[in-house]
Amino acid sequence: MRIQLASGVFLNVLSTNQFKTTRVAIHFIAPARAQDFAARTLLTSVLETSSAKYPTQSDLSAALETMFGASFGIGVAKTGAVHRVTATLNLVADKLAQVPLLAQGFDLLHEVLLEPKLVGNQFDPEVFDREQKNLAAYLGSMDEDRQLQASLATQRLYFQGNDAQATPSFGTLRQLTAVTQARLMAVYQDMLSHDQIEIVVLGDVTEEQVVPLAKQLGFAPRPELAFALIYRQPDVPVRQETASAHVNQAKLNLAYTTPSDLYGRQFYANVVANELFGGSPLSLLFTNVREKASLAYYASSMFEPFRQFSMVQTGIDAVNRDQVQQLIADQLAKVAAGAFSADLLAHIKEGLLNARQAAYDSPQFLARQELLHALVPTHQPGYAAYAAAITAVTKQEVMAAAAAMKLQAVYFLDEQEAN
Amino acid sequence: MALNQTEYPAVQETLVTQTLANGLRVLLVPRPAYHQSYALFAVDYGGIDVRYQPAGATEMVEDPEGIAHFLEHKLFEKEDHDAFDLFGQTGASANAFTGATSTAYLFSTSTQLTENLTTLLDFVQAPYFSDQTVAKERGIIGQEIQMYQDDPGWLLYYGILGNLYPNHPVARDVTGTIASIAQITPERLYQAYRTFYQPINMTLTLVGNFDPERVLAHIADNQAAKTFAPATPIVRGVGFDGDLSTILPYRAADLPVIRPKSAIGIKGQIDAQGDLEGTKYKLAIEVLLEMIFGDSSPLYQKWYDDGLVDDSFAADYIAGRTFNYATITGDADDPSAFSDAVASVIARGADQPALTEARFQRILQAALGKYYMSLNSLEQTANQLSSQSFNALNAFEVVETLKSLTLDDVKRVAASFFDVDAVSVFHVRPEAQA
Repeated sequence: MRIQLASGVFLNVLSTNQFKTTRVAIHFIAPARAQDFAARTLLTSVLETSSAKYPTQSDLSAALETMFGASFGIGVAKTGAVHRVTATLNLVADKLAQVPLLAQGFDLLHEVLLEPKLVGNQFDPEVFDREQKNLAAYLGSMDEDRQLQASLATQRLYFQGNDAQATPSFGTLRQLTAVTQARLMAVYQDMLSHDQIEIVVLGDVTEEQVVPLAKQLGFAPRPELAFALIYRQPDVPVRQETASAHVNQAKLNLAYTTPSDLYGRQFYANVVANELFGGSPLSLLFTNVREKASLAYYASSMFEPFRQFSMVQTGIDAVNRDQVQQLIADQLAKVAAGAFSADLLAHIKEGLLNARQAAYDSPQFLARQELLHALVPTHQPGYAAYAAAITAVTKQEVMAAAAAMKLQAVYFLDEQEAN
Repeated sequence: MALNQTEYPAVQETLVTQTLANGLRVLLVPRPAYHQSYALFAVDYGGIDVRYQPAGATEMVEDPEGIAHFLEHKLFEKEDHDAFDLFGQTGASANAFTGATSTAYLFSTSTQLTENLTTLLDFVQAPYFSDQTVAKERGIIGQEIQMYQDDPGWLLYYGILGNLYPNHPVARDVTGTIASIAQITPERLYQAYRTFYQPINMTLTLVGNFDPERVLAHIADNQAAKTFAPATPIVRGVGFDGDLSTILPYRAADLPVIRPKSAIGIKGQIDAQGDLEGTKYKLAIEVLLEMIFGDSSPLYQKWYDDGLVDDSFAADYIAGRTFNYATITGDADDPSAFSDAVASVIARGADQPALTEARFQRILQAALGKYYMSLNSLEQTANQLSSQSFNALNAFEVVETLKSLTLDDVKRVAASFFDVDAVSVFHVRPEAQA
């Protein structure tokens, strides 16, 4: 149930006694502006490590330990054309702990998000410097994860020309080093007073219990945002990029424009087509590239409706590059041509339904459904609607979905010769 | 059949246990509020079990490293089908993993539970290995091995294990090496299979939405319809290694990393078992590490403020059959300053300012909460029950042991476990740019 606490501030409560925990998430949502990403990320580190009541990490950790080892973190993410800062708190359910942990949890969220440790009218300079340095070190060493390196580079290549999409949600090292104290404070104030706020509470709780706690957070009314969630990619010729590094395993990634509506027939056709192409162990990519041809350790595809985007990721021996790229194209062509059995399609759908049922056992998934439902009016969080829509997808719709996917970027991370 | 059922009110759980006529242990935890069920079929056989007496033989054999993991991969593939596809046809999701001391096959599903249970039991209990399928698997596992070679965190971890255990297979990755898996043959796989995949050496654990009586009857019928070789005792050739004289005190590797990394290892000298005393010992070490090196420790805060460590800093304790050790790892601008600082703390033994009663109570409270939270996940619940299943205490009983811990227990283990002679250091340094 979505309740408006103030203009632009909403509370979503999902009451369930399925879990041993209560989950609270506070989302700050703004149109994605690349120039803000690094500052918003640094902000999460600064807020997490230092508030007036908990000036050091040790102080905050000690408070969380006292609250039965509650877990707390603030992160950033992009959903299509919007950027999110999300604070998440996981608590043992009040009934199990036999202590009012939920109320304590809201107090802690208030302290951390709204009462940062200030020196004069800026963040504690020691904290600012240290967190900027630590985050820079972290961003600087991200390429140590080669799969991530390849994935980010593929997106940079594909979204070239649109900074908000080409830049990862956490920003770039260059942007980060340019963030000043004044800029960080401005971004913080802007987030507090202008972002749309969605609070999600999931657990053995009632609305009557949660509404006053959420109101106590004290978020002021703000103008309601009218933002477009969907990013649409202009049609461009296929972009190619090859990089090299000291790796034992090369990476070949392909990115495709994938037209979709949100939670309509086209969306569900895309979901099934992606699953059949490379989304499951039964998929054509997995069985024909990894298993039968033994050409890759991993070969999979993913689909993001908000960005109208699909990506195939593989880890291969560099010498097999051309062969793998051809095989990937062949598998997509097979889906588009309907060269798959009715049995396989049925199994793919059953797999999707089974996975969806399983997801209803995850508080994280359920909380995310609440957020999606708040952002997209056509989204239906229940299982029945999902099952009906997946079941209704026809072979022709799957073929059409695959045929509409258009290759726009090919990224290759090659094995560099040893010196 | 009356169910052997125990209630655990402290965690609000019910556990049904049964050992079948062939020796297979079955553990069932019904969760009626959930949508799916998760099943885990585990063998007490893992990466370290490369020396053993084959069933029916009297001499020890030495297998190539990586054989348990290779066997796990190969078990899915049959002469005319792949077991993955059978799960897939019902929409179930299947997987498997190999650890240092165990191998497990699993699936989760929201429909057709008994059909999938049959698939699980049947494919694990009917091996099929041929020269062709073994040769093909080398390609797939070879790719997996290469991928880990690109992961600096993995290299750091196996670097410090190699220092602590130069003569024990726990220091070798479960996947083996390109050279070792080249020596794996169908004959070796069958020999290892016959020795370890006996029902007496296996546990089937289910957690989720099902009727325990019906599921248990189904499992019992499935097992009763099969013929098994007579049970033979399992004779393992890899013993406990708590030997400090073999430790390599320091090594470093130059790798294509951007940030240097540091690891300090502490080798456990006591072979803690799965009984009450051993469980208490292991829990006390975990609490000790959290009290000294955890997020709320004054030491961590000081080191973080001084720039000695960042939030990649972590302290872990791993205890398994024949080994136990702690690792303290992290990225650091100055890896030597990092390891010197950690070593100087270990040198203090039980004399640690962080070991106060108030702090102990808080850490214990948090450990309890983390344990409750882990039970949200069917997978984690099943994994914990399964990995405890060859021990005297089950996973729901461990929480009572945790509650009974005292600060004195923690100080006692600090005095013995924090031994400078049991410490080793491994550094990963960025290689010089050409």
